Amino acid sequence: MAEFEPKIVAFVCNWCTYAGADLTGTSRIKYASNVRIIRFPCTGRIDYMLLLKAFDEGADGIIVSGCHPNDCHYTSGNFHARRRWIMFRSLCDFTGIDTDRIKFSWVSAAEGAKWADIVNATVASIRELGPYTDYKKIAKYPEKEVTHG
Amino acid sequence: MVDLIKRTKELLETSEVKVVIGYEQGSGNKTRALFVEKPEDADKLIFDSRCVQNLAAYVTKKEIKEKGKMAITATLPVMRSIIQLASEFQVNDSNLLVLGITPESKMIEFKNLVEVEAFVHQFQIEIDDRNKEMLDRLEKMTKAERWKFWIDELTPCFKCYACRAACPMCYCSRCTVDVNQPQWIPVSSDELGNLEWHIMRAIHLTGRCIDCDACYNACPLAIPINLLTKKMLVDAKEHFGGYQPSLKGDHLMSTYKPDDKENFIQ
Amino acid sequence: MSKIGVFVCHCGENISATVDCARVAETAGNYDGVAFSVDYKYMCSDPGQNLIKNAIKEQGLTGVVVASCSPRMHEPTFRKACAEAGLNPFMCEMANLREHCSWVHEKGEATTEKAIDLVRILVEKVKYNHSLNEIKVPVTKTALVIGGGIAGIQASLDIANTGHKVILIEKDPSIGGHMSQLSETFPTLDCSQCILTPRMVEVAQHPNITLYTYAELESLEGFIGNFKAKIRRKSKSIDEKLCTGCGLCTTKCPVKKIPSEFNEGLGKRTAIYVPFPQAVPNKPVIDRANCTYYIKGKCKVCEIVCPTGAIRFDQEDQIMEVEIGAIVIATGFTVKQPDFFPEYGYGKFPDVITGLQFERLASASGPTLGEIRRPSDGKIPEKIVFLACAGSRDPAKGIPYCSKICCMYIAKHAMLYQHKVHGGKSYVFYMDIRAGGKQYEEFVRRAIEDDGVNYVRGRVSRIYEKNGKLIVAGVDTLLNAMPVEIDADMVVLATAGVANEGAEELAQKLHVSYDPYKFFAEAHPKLKPVETNTAGIFLAGACQAPRDIPESVAMASGAAVKVAALFSKDELTREPIIAVVNRQAPPVYSSCVGCFLCVSACPYQAIEKEEIKNRNGEVIKSIAKVNPGLCQGCGTCVAFCRTKSIDIQGYTNEQMYTEVMALLNEY
Repeated sequence: MAEFEPKIVAFVCNWCTYAGADLTGTSRIKYASNVRIIRFPCTGRIDYMLLLKAFDEGADGIIVSGCHPNDCHYTSGNFHARRRWIMFRSLCDFTGIDTDRIKFSWVSAAEGAKWADIVNATVASIRELGPYTDYKKIAKYPEKEVTHG
Repeated sequence: MVDLIKRTKELLETSEVKVVIGYEQGSGNKTRALFVEKPEDADKLIFDSRCVQNLAAYVTKKEIKEKGKMAITATLPVMRSIIQLASEFQVNDSNLLVLGITPESKMIEFKNLVEVEAFVHQFQIEIDDRNKEMLDRLEKMTKAERWKFWIDELTPCFKCYACRAACPMCYCSRCTVDVNQPQWIPVSSDELGNLEWHIMRAIHLTGRCIDCDACYNACPLAIPINLLTKKMLVDAKEHFGGYQPSLKGDHLMSTYKPDDKENFIQ
Repeated sequence: MSKIGVFVCHCGENISATVDCARVAETAGNYDGVAFSVDYKYMCSDPGQNLIKNAIKEQGLTGVVVASCSPRMHEPTFRKACAEAGLNPFMCEMANLREHCSWVHEKGEATTEKAIDLVRILVEKVKYNHSLNEIKVPVTKTALVIGGGIAGIQASLDIANTGHKVILIEKDPSIGGHMSQLSETFPTLDCSQCILTPRMVEVAQHPNITLYTYAELESLEGFIGNFKAKIRRKSKSIDEKLCTGCGLCTTKCPVKKIPSEFNEGLGKRTAIYVPFPQAVPNKPVIDRANCTYYIKGKCKVCEIVCPTGAIRFDQEDQIMEVEIGAIVIATGFTVKQPDFFPEYGYGKFPDVITGLQFERLASASGPTLGEIRRPSDGKIPEKIVFLACAGSRDPAKGIPYCSKICCMYIAKHAMLYQHKVHGGKSYVFYMDIRAGGKQYEEFVRRAIEDDGVNYVRGRVSRIYEKNGKLIVAGVDTLLNAMPVEIDADMVVLATAGVANEGAEELAQKLHVSYDPYKFFAEAHPKLKPVETNTAGIFLAGACQAPRDIPESVAMASGAAVKVAALFSKDELTREPIIAVVNRQAPPVYSSCVGCFLCVSACPYQAIEKEEIKNRNGEVIKSIAKVNPGLCQGCGTCVAFCRTKSIDIQGYTNEQMYTEVMALLNEY
């Protein structure tokens, strides 16, 4: 059986992490291809329900990333986001959702190398955790996906 | 409750308010909400330790608001709810008069919401020992055990929305759960739909819930969904120093501090 | 039914080397709603763009996905191409196959699969795109310049000379800033005041410039083209119209021992004072904290002697509201002050001074009339030591950056000293000599070679007093870190240039970002050095980072051009990526319940209350409403609206939800 290839969705802000991931590209730094980026204007825009939707639809891991504190293009979107993440993450953990599968990070437009590191580290840790069978099970995710990853 | 009945009669006779919301004897040993519109009905009003329903849930209801200015029999949790509702612009002095009931069961009539707020702020929101134990027990479980606990607890839920109807803070005319473009919460009452509905509910109540347990008391299956909001209450205290409903409107989740602390963002 | 065109770019071989572009195009062609799909070598080239344009026209496309480089690179290009072919530009989206895929992954199946996924999510998103129109907002053609140093002066003059109105505010009683304090300027050694004061006068006399000194920004509302600023005009305690600037009050004022800010504490001033003789405006202010009348309730000597009766003890601060279209921040910098250098004895030994203090000593208008005399006893120092990097480039002190101007002014100081004190000995302790700039290196060489300044490469560990001398203990790293001790008469510290006190507060008032050192942040370190991230607000001079005079002036002129460009049109257009609150037919009007939590979350105060009234004018519902001029489109409000009543165009709930769905579900 082939090695388990986790599906990872990245929710990133346009101004820092998206641009940082662009820099990873222009710097030709290689990283794991498991991640798919969805561009948001700001981390403040990222609805936490979308994270659950990603798990519903079969994601094994999630990256949420935006501008470092004080760097937000909109001055405070990331501060709002951080407060929401603190509470949302805790609530998820309290309900037994595997928060080890959600990686939160600050990646600036200058941190191309960091973006590659974050993706690689996430892919490695999710690979270790295996497919997110618990969530897939309640989402009635196709059986074959669960067994074959 | 002689005071309450007397005052209700006066308020209605002078037309100062159009309706007084209080409690009456229900079936069996239960009490239920009473809407007194005629002075002669005021005698049905009761108040005792069984009166735990959060009457604040009614003050945002269209049918009741339409009657005109309201007065409400308000225990501490009800008063807290009212201040929170006022901070969210749902009630104000011109449409609501608060007939407070102190923890010693005395009636105080407040001139305005500022007075109610001052009264409410004398008391901290405290989670009772039984629930604290419950929270502790859950937190000591492994993640997998917690997952099992909640899947087991939530699976029987058939989304009757009694919890939502009983909650004073669930006054939205359109709940996210009713939005279908896109379909945020799966319609079906299965493990997934129920889990996501209750997570969403708890998040929407974060920073707003005043821990009255109305949701839990209303649940026909006694699912401990109030533990979710209690957990948020504990966290709000731990991370942000807690909150009190306040007319200033500095809501926990619509504000931030640049030095909010966390330990999980890389 | 959507008719979407997918255009897969090879980017030469940048994409096609690792991604099977033909397969991506072929796969996309089979998706529901995709009417046309093609791959091409260079989509951004003219033929590539024509391919898109023709397909739009011939196929009647309702949406376009260009799968090529980052949208941050070419989104404007392709949106423009779509618009030229008659398709609303906001119906065009880009899948980032280059930066996010081909450049970061090896050639192979997984990389092509990823490319296919990236295209699919954008195809699905486009299905939910709506035609959007650019927002037009009127422009108030008056600029506010904050800070009257050389940068603010230059920006004001440049903007005013394009024919637009300028309001210049300065917190001190006079404009001129740090440049007015300088003795001579590098690398030409021309007198600072001689070149500055004519510009100060020009500012005061310019018909397009309104100057308010002793004034600070109180608050700012609004957005590009349409700001409303409140300006606090601090009470000067004089009637400026009546005051002729004769100066009699300043000579008669009995409080004479206040350390002069202009002379960096090396000279004294009175309580009613003009900061320096060439001040603009040349009219005094009363320093209320030090005035006997305000402290004890008695005195009023100035009022008695004033020939025009211009003294106003009861004058109050005035708050003025002005409407402006653009702002230039030119608030400058400051230098690190005492107690930051305990090891150098700054503040303990009177003859350890800062570079700015040395400027005053060397200045013909300074407290010693240009003679280099030490503060303690007025003696001419026979031996003087200059320390570069006092605080700068010292991560332990929290200032890892280079203050940039010090290497040059130290060379200048040493040179001035050698010119003024014949036979004197001067030493410079330095880490590196950073003399990048036109004629800068030559200038430093002149100091060393022609004027005999001794440059010692090494750091000074401490300074202590011994037998009336300041012992400067350091090492010479060019001599194997040999210890060096110099018994100096005076020491000048090139203290680090740091952000002004209150910079952070000002940044918050202006909603502009700032770096960890509290310098204001430019929008892009290379390509937008004078812009801030807040549209319509620009930067000039040392408020952004330590800058010398030519750089400050260049930045100021750059900022002025940005302002002039903004003012060249009567209205400006903005991207319609903004939040909107849904509206529905009566009796619902909107699903918004009016909790207004979004109002407190909005970083731009862009959400207001809208009251919906019935025919009798009674309010039946209060709902949120977004001001399209103020909204910047962050979407912070959207993510936590419980009723999902507020949404952001271009990143709607349906679009983002669909992207997640499409990403994970192949079909």
